[in-house]
Amino acid sequence: MHRITKITGYVAIILVVLSFNFFLPRLMPGDPLSFLTGAPGMDMPIVLDEETRAKLLTYYGLDKPLSQQFYDYMLGILHGDLGWSIYHNAPVSDILIGALKWTFLLVGTSTALYMVLGILLGAISAWNRGGKSDVGLLVSLLSIGSFPPFFLGMLFIILFSVKLNLFPAFGAQTPFMEYSSLLEEASDILYHLFLPVTTLVISHIGGVYLLMRNSMLNVIGEDYILTARAKGMAEWYIMRKHATKNALLPIITMIALRTGFMIGGTILVETVFAYPGVGRLLFDAVMYRDYPLLQGAFLIITLVIIAANFVADMVYVQLDPRLKHD
Amino acid sequence: MTEIKDLNRFWNAYKESRLGLIGLVILLFFVTLAVFAPYIAPYDPHEMFKPMEHPSSDHLLGTNDIGQDILSELIYGARVSLFIAFFVSVVSGIIGTAFGLLSGYFEMFGFFLMRIVDAFLAIPRLPLIIVIAAFMRPSIWNLIFIFIILGWPITTRIIRSEVLSLRTRNYVEAARMVGAPDTYILMKHILPNVFPLLVVRLIIEASHVIIAESSLSFLGLGDPVVKSWGMILHYAFVYPTIFISDLWMWWMLPAGLCITLTILSLTFIGYALEELVNPRLRGMTRI
Repeated sequence: MHRITKITGYVAIILVVLSFNFFLPRLMPGDPLSFLTGAPGMDMPIVLDEETRAKLLTYYGLDKPLSQQFYDYMLGILHGDLGWSIYHNAPVSDILIGALKWTFLLVGTSTALYMVLGILLGAISAWNRGGKSDVGLLVSLLSIGSFPPFFLGMLFIILFSVKLNLFPAFGAQTPFMEYSSLLEEASDILYHLFLPVTTLVISHIGGVYLLMRNSMLNVIGEDYILTARAKGMAEWYIMRKHATKNALLPIITMIALRTGFMIGGTILVETVFAYPGVGRLLFDAVMYRDYPLLQGAFLIITLVIIAANFVADMVYVQLDPRLKHD
Repeated sequence: MTEIKDLNRFWNAYKESRLGLIGLVILLFFVTLAVFAPYIAPYDPHEMFKPMEHPSSDHLLGTNDIGQDILSELIYGARVSLFIAFFVSVVSGIIGTAFGLLSGYFEMFGFFLMRIVDAFLAIPRLPLIIVIAAFMRPSIWNLIFIFIILGWPITTRIIRSEVLSLRTRNYVEAARMVGAPDTYILMKHILPNVFPLLVVRLIIEASHVIIAESSLSFLGLGDPVVKSWGMILHYAFVYPTIFISDLWMWWMLPAGLCITLTILSLTFIGYALEELVNPRLRGMTRI
């Protein structure tokens, strides 16, 4: 029952997102093409040649009735057609597929790292509650978490790329490099990944740490911990077997919620490090007012996040036996 | 009388937290800058001098690419960030609380509203803000509008779950039994009890808004007429030699630190308040 409600909910959300994407350009004052030629406050003017204009007109299908436009739009998405990018002069879906792998690499690595570190540090903090290490961890993690990701990234570029010359400042691979082996290619990719991942991990670790710490502190106050203590069990055993396991439950939900939040950070970090992922595409699309690309990137990001939420929900049901019988 | 006593008791508990006090001092510093900006700033931030001047006694932090005094931009920038953060968190807080109270108290309404909240929370916030902002005219009031639209669902969810637990308390049941009207119970018995939680939520929302506003401005989607810290960073970032010269020291670093310190102050205050509200965290670490 629980599962069916959840699945219906997700289908509804996907429909809402698709409709939002369809109606947004059409509800704004003027038609979607007028943004391109006369949007106020834009950094660079766009001159449309006849061919691009025609492509855009077919993309929006403005000459047809609204219901027909909506039908065509939905049908196009089912066929993987996300329109034509003005700036790149290529199909939006092709550009996005090329960028997705980099974003997955960046987000995947960062998520794994900050989750493990955050959970570990949060548990250590709660374990030593009130002690020196707890206070130290709390203050330092709250402080570094206050740096906006784009500012942190810029500082890292200046420190580690320009001053110390340790890591590359931009890109995902060395340009025009011929790799002699797979290992060489992998190490070049990791080398470029280091600074963006570090930036993302630092700006997101605080939230998980704090949640884990609070969750542990709540669990430690429970009766069964008191019982375990009364039975004379060793403190580390109680912490590991009883407290940590139960404290982890809320963290699972957090991973999914955080992934959505993380995407925001990824857009900024990819922009700062010129990392060729979907976030960077979104920034380029904004800069060049490439609306089909902008909407395509938004759609892909949102669908991936919704999928992540869905997986987390399903995992959660497996982990919490109370939900299975609903 | 009781209000003053309560406030006193609250302050006595709050000032025990060193983090809370540090946060408050930093925030007050920026509030002062914002309020008295015209008296503190050496120049009008839109006035143009010689571009790209290095720091000197005339321009303590130099001038930017179109010759505006960077220090004055920073001081006026405090106005933008703090005003948006304050306005958005209060308005979305009011909307969120109203919906939270109603949806926690009336089951059918709550069920439907929560589905809407679910939809809002499932969509990643920053990409959504970017897409809407890209289609709207970049003005400060449009930004505020977007932030409010996206801010209330989380508050609603938090307030609702608190109301769900409060409405089963004995004193609420008792009030209902003697025939007190719903509005009376909501305003008299439930609202005052969700208030502490709401304050924590407002502080957190304010810091989220500051991050969101500076991120948008950094990406070039801010109001071009309004001088915000994120906007300063945007122009610094797109300047070709920002990383390879010393420019970053006075053009980029101070603006970034202003954003960071403001968020830091709100984080510290939020943490100190949360310790007061959540009894299980209370008394374990006093820092």
